[in-house]
Amino acid sequence: MSDNPGLLLATLAASLLVAPVIFLLPERAWLARTAFNLGAALLKLGLVALMVWGVARGENYAFGFTVVEGVSFQLRADPLGIMFAGLSSLLWLFTTLYAIGYLEGSDNRKRFFGFFSLCVASTLGIALAGNLFTFLLFYELLTLSTYPLVVHRGTPKALASGATYLRYTVSGGVLLLIGVVALHALAGEVNFGQREVLADLGPDYHPWLIGIFVLMMVGLGVKAALVPLHGWLPQAMVAPAPVSALLHAVAVVKAGAFGIVRVVYDVYGIAFSFELGLLTGLAIIASFTILYGSLRALAQVDIKRRLAFSTVSQVSYIMLGISLFGPMGTVAGLAHLLHQGLMKVTLFFCAGNYAEELGIHRIDELDGVGRRMPGTSLAFTLGALGMIGIPPLVGFLSKWYLGMGAIQAGMPWVIAVLVASSLLNAAYFLPILYRLWFKPGPLEGVGEWPHEQRLGRLETSGWLLWPALATAAFSLLAGIFAGLPFSPLSWASLIALQEYLP
Amino acid sequence: MSLAHMLLLTVAWPLALTALVAATLAWRHGRALVAQRSSGRYVMPPGLAGDWSYRGRVALWLSAPLPALAVALALPESTLILDWWLLGGVWQLDGVRRALLGFSALLWALAGVYAHGYLSGKARRARHGDQDAERDLQGFVLLWPLTLAGNLMLILAEDIASFYTGFALMTFAAYGLVVNAGSREAYRGGRAYLIMAILGEGMILAGLLWAAASAETLTLTGLREGLAVSPHANAMATLLWLGFGVKAGVIGLHVWLPLAHPVAPTPASAVLSGSMIKAGLLGWWQTLPLGLTALEGLGTVVMTLGLLAAFGAALYGVTQRHPKAVLAYSSVSQMGMMTALVGVGLLSPSLWPVLAPALMLFAVHHGLNKGALFLGVGITEHPPRWPGWLLWGLLVLPALSLAGALASGLSAKWVLKAGLYDAGWSGLVMLLTLAALGTSLLMARTLWCQAHAWKEAHRHGAAPAPLSMTLAWTLCALLAAAVPWWLALPEAPVGTVQAGELPPLGELPGLLWPVLLGAVLTAALVVACHLEPRLHTRLSRAERLPPGDLWQLYVRSTNVLMDGMRRGVARLANAQEAVQSTTTATGQWAMGWLTSLQRGEAWLRRWAVALMVVMIAGLWLALVR
Repeated sequence: MSDNPGLLLATLAASLLVAPVIFLLPERAWLARTAFNLGAALLKLGLVALMVWGVARGENYAFGFTVVEGVSFQLRADPLGIMFAGLSSLLWLFTTLYAIGYLEGSDNRKRFFGFFSLCVASTLGIALAGNLFTFLLFYELLTLSTYPLVVHRGTPKALASGATYLRYTVSGGVLLLIGVVALHALAGEVNFGQREVLADLGPDYHPWLIGIFVLMMVGLGVKAALVPLHGWLPQAMVAPAPVSALLHAVAVVKAGAFGIVRVVYDVYGIAFSFELGLLTGLAIIASFTILYGSLRALAQVDIKRRLAFSTVSQVSYIMLGISLFGPMGTVAGLAHLLHQGLMKVTLFFCAGNYAEELGIHRIDELDGVGRRMPGTSLAFTLGALGMIGIPPLVGFLSKWYLGMGAIQAGMPWVIAVLVASSLLNAAYFLPILYRLWFKPGPLEGVGEWPHEQRLGRLETSGWLLWPALATAAFSLLAGIFAGLPFSPLSWASLIALQEYLP
Repeated sequence: MSLAHMLLLTVAWPLALTALVAATLAWRHGRALVAQRSSGRYVMPPGLAGDWSYRGRVALWLSAPLPALAVALALPESTLILDWWLLGGVWQLDGVRRALLGFSALLWALAGVYAHGYLSGKARRARHGDQDAERDLQGFVLLWPLTLAGNLMLILAEDIASFYTGFALMTFAAYGLVVNAGSREAYRGGRAYLIMAILGEGMILAGLLWAAASAETLTLTGLREGLAVSPHANAMATLLWLGFGVKAGVIGLHVWLPLAHPVAPTPASAVLSGSMIKAGLLGWWQTLPLGLTALEGLGTVVMTLGLLAAFGAALYGVTQRHPKAVLAYSSVSQMGMMTALVGVGLLSPSLWPVLAPALMLFAVHHGLNKGALFLGVGITEHPPRWPGWLLWGLLVLPALSLAGALASGLSAKWVLKAGLYDAGWSGLVMLLTLAALGTSLLMARTLWCQAHAWKEAHRHGAAPAPLSMTLAWTLCALLAAAVPWWLALPEAPVGTVQAGELPPLGELPGLLWPVLLGAVLTAALVVACHLEPRLHTRLSRAERLPPGDLWQLYVRSTNVLMDGMRRGVARLANAQEAVQSTTTATGQWAMGWLTSLQRGEAWLRRWAVALMVVMIAGLWLALVR
C-alpha cells in the first residue's frame, strides 16, 4: 500500500534535511540558521496538522519499500503515531525557540542545532514507523543523535553522564534488537496493527512470546526509565535545559514509552497481552516505578534532579495506563503521553530560566523568586499543580482515567498507588511553590541571587519566557477544553475506541 | 444564551476579577522592569496599595460575589450543560444549592467589604514604602476572588470533575489567605491547614475515583446512587467521609482549624469558618448515600464521633485565650453536631427528607452567625465610637443566636428537635441539647475574651474601625439572625415544621434551658473567681493548653515515619548506585583487558620475524616428516 506518501515523506524530510543544512552553514550564520530552523519547525507543524486533519477524516498515509526479502521499511500515519508526531512537532517548535535564547552567545551552536534536528527527526520517524524494523532504525538513530546533546557542555561531568547514557541505552538497544530479530524469526514480518499474527501462532509458542515480550520491555524500559533501568536519566540532567526538556518531554523517555505502547497494542495486541498475563507484571513494575521515583524526588535538592526523578515517576503513568486492560486505561496512558510532555517541558523550561537569569540551581535558592520572575514562576506553578493532578490542569484528567481504568480492569489497588503518588507529588512540588511565592527573598532584602543577569527587557529574555508560558497555557487549556475535538483527551479516546472495537 | 448561563457567570466573574488583578500586577511589573533597564538594579514596581482609594476599582473588586447572590435570590431552578469543560460539565441550581449559594455569596460579599476596611491600615503602610505590607495586600487581593470562585463552583457543580476542581481551587487558594500575615505562627497554621487539606484531597480523590468508576458515572447524583448499591459501599463512603471530614473538622482531623483561624486575617477567618467549612458538609451531602440506603457501621461511627467533637471541642475550646481560637473550637463543636445528624441520616434513610432541610437551616444559620462572630473580633480590637449597648448588643446577638436562644438559632433548634423527636431519637435530642450547653459556654468565653480585647483597645487608644468594617459586621449580624426569613431554604415535607417557624411558647423552656444554665454557670464562675483568687489561678493554668491539641503529636509521629521511609529509600538508591558502579567497573576492566590485548599485539609485532622463522621451521619439519 502506497497511498498519499508525499505528505508523509515531506514531514519527515522537513526535519531530517534540516540537519545537514545546519551542519553546512557556518557557525556565525545565526540568522540563517535560526530562520531555517524555525521555518522547518513551523512547516513540520503545519504538515502534521494537515495529517491530523486527514487521519481524523479517515484518510490513509503510508509509504514503504522492501529492504531485503522479508524485511521492509514502512512508514504509516495511524492515529497513535500521528498523536506522538503532533506532540513532537509542537514541542520541537517551542524547544527550538527556547534553545535559541538559551544558547545565545555560547560555542558550538552549529553542532547543537544539527544534532537537535536529527534528534527530533528520529522522534518523528519513531512516531510514523510502520513496523518494528523501521522503529528500531529510528530508535537507534535517536540514541546516537542525543549523545552529542547530552555531552554538549564538554565538562568531565557531562562526558561521564554521556558515557552512562550510552552504556544504558546501547545495552537496551541490543536487547531490543534481539527481541525484534527473534520475533521476526518466529512470526515473519509483523506490521504494526496486524495484531492477529502473533495471536494465531498457537499455545506452543506462548513461552517464546512471553520471553520475547520481557526482552523487549527491558530493552524499551531503559529509555522509558522503568526502575531499575532508570539510572541514566537523573545523570543526564547535566545537559543544557532545552535538551533536558526535549529528553524528558518528547524525545528519549517518550520514545521508550511509545515503543512499549506500540509493542503492547500493535504487535501483541492488548487482548493477547492480557491473555498471556503480561499486563499485570507491567502494572506492578509501573506502580513501583511511580512510587520509587516520587520518593527519590523528595530527597533531591537540585531542581533539575528533582524534576528528573519526577519524570521517572510520571512516565510510568503511561505504562500503568497501558497495562490496565480496558478502554479507560488506554485513554489514560495515551492522553498522559501528551499531558506529561506538556507539563514536563514547561517545568524544564522554567528550571532553565531560573538557572540562566539568576544562576539558581538548587531548591533552597528559590526563595522569593516569584516576585522577581512572576511569568516563569506562574508557568512553573501550573506545571507543578498539573503534575500533582489538580484540576482543571491536564494531569488531573490522566489520573481520573487511570482510576476509571483501574476499576474497569479489576485492579482497585492502583487507586491507592495513584493517591500515594499524588500525595508524594504534592510533597515535593508544593515546598518549591511555597519558596517561590511565600518566602521572602533578595527583593525583600534576604540573601542575594547566586548569579543575576539581565537577559532581556522583561524578567528574562523573551526567547526563554514565552515558550514556557505557551506550554503552560497549553497544559491549562488542554485540561479546561478537554471536551472539544482534537484535545489530547479526545484524540486518545478516539484511538482507544479503535483499539477495542473490532 | 439561556438564563442558565448566569450560573457560568457566577463563577466566571470572580475568576475574571482575579485575572484582572493579575494582569494589572503583571503590567505594572513589566513596565517597571522596562523602565529600569538602564539602572541595573531591580526595584519593586508600584503595587496595589495605590488603588485603595479609587472607589470604582474597589467596587469592582467587591462585586465578585454579586452575580452569585443575584442567582441565588432570583434565578429559577436551572441546569447548565458545558460539553467543552473538562470531562463534561453539569452545573445546577436546586434547593440545597440555592441556600448554600445564597448564604455563601452574602458572607463573602460582606467579608469583602469588611476586608477593605481591615486592610486599609496595611495599604497606608504600603503606600509609605512598606514592602511587606504591599506583598500581603497583593496576595490577599489576588487570592480572595480566586478562593471565592472555587467555593461557588463546588456549590453549583453537579459533575464530579467540576466539584473536585472547585474544591481544590478553594483549598489551595485559601492557603494564601491563611498565611497572609506572613508571621511565623501564620506559616505554622498554614502548614497544618495545607497538610491536612492535602491528605483530605487524597482521600476524596480515592473515594471519588473508586465510586465513580464502579458506578460508571460522571455526576454526583449518579455517584451517590451507585454507591448506595455497591458491595463496597462502606469502604467508599468511609473514604469520602474522612476526606471531606478534614474540611468539616471531624474530630481527629480538625487540628488545622484552631491553628489556622487565629492567624488568618479576620475576614478570611470569617469565610473560612462560615462558608468554606460547609464545603465539607456539602461534600458529604453530595456523595454519601443519605436517604438512599442505611450504612449501619459507618453511621454509628459518624454519629459517635460527631457527638464526641461536639462535647470535646467545647471543653477544650473554653480553655483558649484567643477569641478566634475559641470560635474555631466552637466551629468544630457545631460541625460535630452536624456530623452527628449526618450519622443519623446514614443510619435511618427514611428520616432524611425531614432531616435534610433542618440540617441545611442549621448549616446556613451557623455559617452566617459564625461569620458575624469572627467579624466581631476585629471590631472589638478597633471599637467604633458607638454607645456600649449598641456595640455589645450586636456582639451578643450572633452569640445568643448560635447558642440557640433566639432568632435563627431558636428556629433551627426547634426544627431539628421536632423532626428528631417525631422519629423517636429522643436520646440524641438530649445529647444535642447538652452540647448546646457547651456552645453557650464557648460563646460566653468568646465574649469574655472580646471584652478583654475591647478594654485593651480602649486603654491603648486603638483607632476606631473604618466605616466599611462596622457596616459589614452590623449587616452580617442582623442578616444572620434573620436568615430563615429571607433566604429560600429547601422545603421540608408537608406536615413537619418548616424553616422559619418559631416554637410555641410551651416548648420554650425545653429549648432555652441550656443557654440559661450556661449563663448561670458563667456568672457563678466569674463571681467565684472574684471571691476566691486561688480558683482563678488554678483555672488559668488550663489556659496554657495550646491550640491545635493533637497537631504536635501528629507531627512527631510523622517525623518518625518519614525518617524510616527516607532510610529505606536511601538504602534502595545506594543498592542501585552500587550496581551501576559495579557495571562501570566491569566495563573499565573489560576495556583494560582489551588494552592489554593491544600490548600483546605490540609484542607480536616485535617478535614477528622470529615467530615466522619458528613457524616456517615447524612447518618444514612437519612436512619433511
